[in-house]
Amino acid sequence: MNDSHRPNDRHRRPRASYNPGAEGFSDGRLVEVHNQLANDKEEPSEGFSLLPVFVVFLFCGFGFWAGLYLTRNSGDFNPGSFDLDAPRAVADNGPKEFEPDPVKGEKLFVANCASCHQATGLGVAGAFPPLADSPWVAGNEERLVKIIIAGLAGELDYKGTKYNGAMPNIGAGLKDAQVAHIATYVRQAWGNQAGPVTDAKVAEVRKAVGSRGAYSPAEILQAHPLETK
Amino acid sequence: MKNLNLILAGVFFTVAAPFGGLLLGGHAQLGALGRAPAEEGGPLLPALEPGLAIQGRQVYLQLGCVACHTQQVRPAGQGSDIAQGWGARPSVARDYVLQPQVALGNRRVGPDLANYGARAKSDAEIAAHLSAPAAGSAMPAYAFLFSPAKDGSLQPNERGAALIAYLKSLRQDYSSPEAKLKQ
Amino acid sequence: MSQENPNSRPQGQGRPQGRPAETGAPRISRVDASVASPVKFFFASALLWLLVSSVLAVITAVKLHLPGFLNGCEFVTFGRLDAIQRNVFFYGWASNALIGLNLWLLASLGRFEFRNAWIATLGGLIWNLALTIGVAFVLLDSQNAFELLELPRGVAPAFFVAFLLAALWPAVAFARRPTSHVFVSQWYILGASFVLPVVYLLAQLMVLWCPTNGVLQALVHSWFLQNFLFLWLGASALAAVYYFLPKELGTTLTGYYLSTVGFWTLFLFAGWTGPATLLGSPLPLWIQSTGVVAAVMLLIPLTITSINFFGTLSRDSGWSRAWNNTTLRFVAFGLVAYTLATVLQIVFSARSLNAIVRFTAFTAGQQQLLTYAFVSMVIFGAAYFILPRLTGAFWPSAKLVHLHFWSCAVAVVGSVAGSLVFGWSQGAALAAAKPFADTAHPQAALLSSACAVLFLIGHVAFAVNAFGMLTSCSSSTDEGRQA
Repeated sequence: MNDSHRPNDRHRRPRASYNPGAEGFSDGRLVEVHNQLANDKEEPSEGFSLLPVFVVFLFCGFGFWAGLYLTRNSGDFNPGSFDLDAPRAVADNGPKEFEPDPVKGEKLFVANCASCHQATGLGVAGAFPPLADSPWVAGNEERLVKIIIAGLAGELDYKGTKYNGAMPNIGAGLKDAQVAHIATYVRQAWGNQAGPVTDAKVAEVRKAVGSRGAYSPAEILQAHPLETK
Repeated sequence: MKNLNLILAGVFFTVAAPFGGLLLGGHAQLGALGRAPAEEGGPLLPALEPGLAIQGRQVYLQLGCVACHTQQVRPAGQGSDIAQGWGARPSVARDYVLQPQVALGNRRVGPDLANYGARAKSDAEIAAHLSAPAAGSAMPAYAFLFSPAKDGSLQPNERGAALIAYLKSLRQDYSSPEAKLKQ
Repeated sequence: MSQENPNSRPQGQGRPQGRPAETGAPRISRVDASVASPVKFFFASALLWLLVSSVLAVITAVKLHLPGFLNGCEFVTFGRLDAIQRNVFFYGWASNALIGLNLWLLASLGRFEFRNAWIATLGGLIWNLALTIGVAFVLLDSQNAFELLELPRGVAPAFFVAFLLAALWPAVAFARRPTSHVFVSQWYILGASFVLPVVYLLAQLMVLWCPTNGVLQALVHSWFLQNFLFLWLGASALAAVYYFLPKELGTTLTGYYLSTVGFWTLFLFAGWTGPATLLGSPLPLWIQSTGVVAAVMLLIPLTITSINFFGTLSRDSGWSRAWNNTTLRFVAFGLVAYTLATVLQIVFSARSLNAIVRFTAFTAGQQQLLTYAFVSMVIFGAAYFILPRLTGAFWPSAKLVHLHFWSCAVAVVGSVAGSLVFGWSQGAALAAAKPFADTAHPQAALLSSACAVLFLIGHVAFAVNAFGMLTSCSSSTDEGRQA
């Protein structure tokens, strides 16, 4: 390869002398020698024997960082998130926003209420008033929530049947969301057709009720008269 | 590493992985994205472009306006686009679903045009800027988009009018489900 | 060239003492002769396109500070000429030259004699014809809004077929090579030759033939562009560096056994980096962040190539020997540029930094660092090595070689530094919410015009030299070259 090209002669330093042994590789030697290098695992002659380990560590470190970075900066892989600083519009508000769930409400109802009002919502005539198709339940939501939270004690005349029970303050031991689930369930079950009750509404009513005892039917009807169809 | 098939299979994998992960993944998420109303019952946005504006897009592409102008507003945390007054909100994918060829651009010799239609005052102003840009602007004059009218003033010809209509149609000044306008 | 300085001879690198390096010389030159016509064709067309691109670059650079310059009719508007200049540079100059270079390298390394080299030449003809038609179309009719996909979609099939014809040979040469040994350059060339047509075809399909929805086009385009820059231009140029460095220095590569990892990690990660160039765009965050992660991962291949190259260069006074060797001077210059370009790509994928420089001249400077200061300089260096071996002639003028190196080196340093500094400064001013119109630097346009003129001078010097050699000695025989 000593033909090369004349301009290079200009770069030759004065002390350089012609020496065929010192010139570049032929292509065949180049490939052959490097092939040996690549396959020669016994010879850590270059002083870089730690490098493979180093590269492996580098890989692991980068992999770890990549996971972290993607978790923090990928907007939950949501196709609608473009702005890193924007509140996670779709992703985060979803769980935060309360949705009264009649399915959960049914479970809570069975656990807390069905022993008296029955799973059918029909109650027991003369002892526990029915909830099915009842304006007490499907009417004003505040009244319903007040009764669940504080209880109801006293004489009550409903659809020609007299009741004189004492409903305990079931709701006092439940969370706002749980009360909301129950109230939503009973307002939509057994032929009742009323809107859901939110946990915010329950919290508001609970604040108004305070720590008072059970309402009497007369008292609560005064605050919230019974709706007539 | 001596096997041609092995190298080609490996390289094939390295090409297929980002193609599947990024392109097909993105396509699965956004491939069918369409217009949406800002609030329930509202009109579908982005609004359909007038016919003249669609012709104008062709002029915009033809002249290579994208060499100097972008059409994307970055979020406030990522650059000062909103502070520059180029848009009221960051651009989102839905803004581009009507465009047969998006001209997002990657160089700003001139200002961003994503929301130009909302800040341009009138056709005449745009026409004046196209035919004789302000001194100091790096934008060339597009004299061939104008022809002299009877009274001696320059009037946009067919392509000029189309380009102006297109520039006016560039608007991102509506709320989108992904990026609400701040009231 | 490399015969100087006997003291720097590597010790214990497995080269038998006293063995003439050129035992295979006649055979090698038969190999050279077998690929001479297509390689010369590719280099000659690359040179012509380089001149066209340099002239256009001067015009567009001047237009940026004198918008009235050459603004008579619509066919010379900045938008059209800028697109044409870019395509001519990338498809005309860089791709033509790299196809030729890859062909020659694979033939040499595989010691494979081509029988039907005319097929590659035919591919070259189609390639250049398609490019000419595409450029004419952009000039007279319309263009697409995506960098390097501006040409009308009709040229895509022609490009694809042309590339297959021209690059089919590397694969054949590799498969039929008489030796079972493989050198790292061969992997890079095979990888690059596989990536380009596949990625180009898919990008054409998804952006121009059956466009995907809205911003997904920009995503596909960014994927294409990063593949084109890193895995076609970059990988091909790396192949040349891996070849010329040990060959001309006469030493083995430091940490050669790592180069496999370097190859696979580069190909594994570079393809994902596209969205890192789209930070803040209306693409879902996870896509952008994936791009950032991939860009940072480029640190791994960069580390390995740096060990390979800089390790080799810092042994046995390698730097000074490289400086005194025309080919290696260009190659070493390119290597420094490659390292810088990759570091910039990694660092400026950080969201906060990217927010400042995105859309400014900074990104153009980054791209020029990779495509000119690295890829083009390596191609120049390779041309100084290869063309004499194909023509059997010497370079006519050493002065022109010097003029070429210095004008291009100064121009690219000035141009890249200018883009980076002025781009950063404009970005910082914009981030401080200064009005856009007040942030442009008039000096930036002046500097880039001066650099464009300097580039043109260097390229003319190179072209005069090269065409002098290609035309005067095209009839030289194999024996003549050996004399």
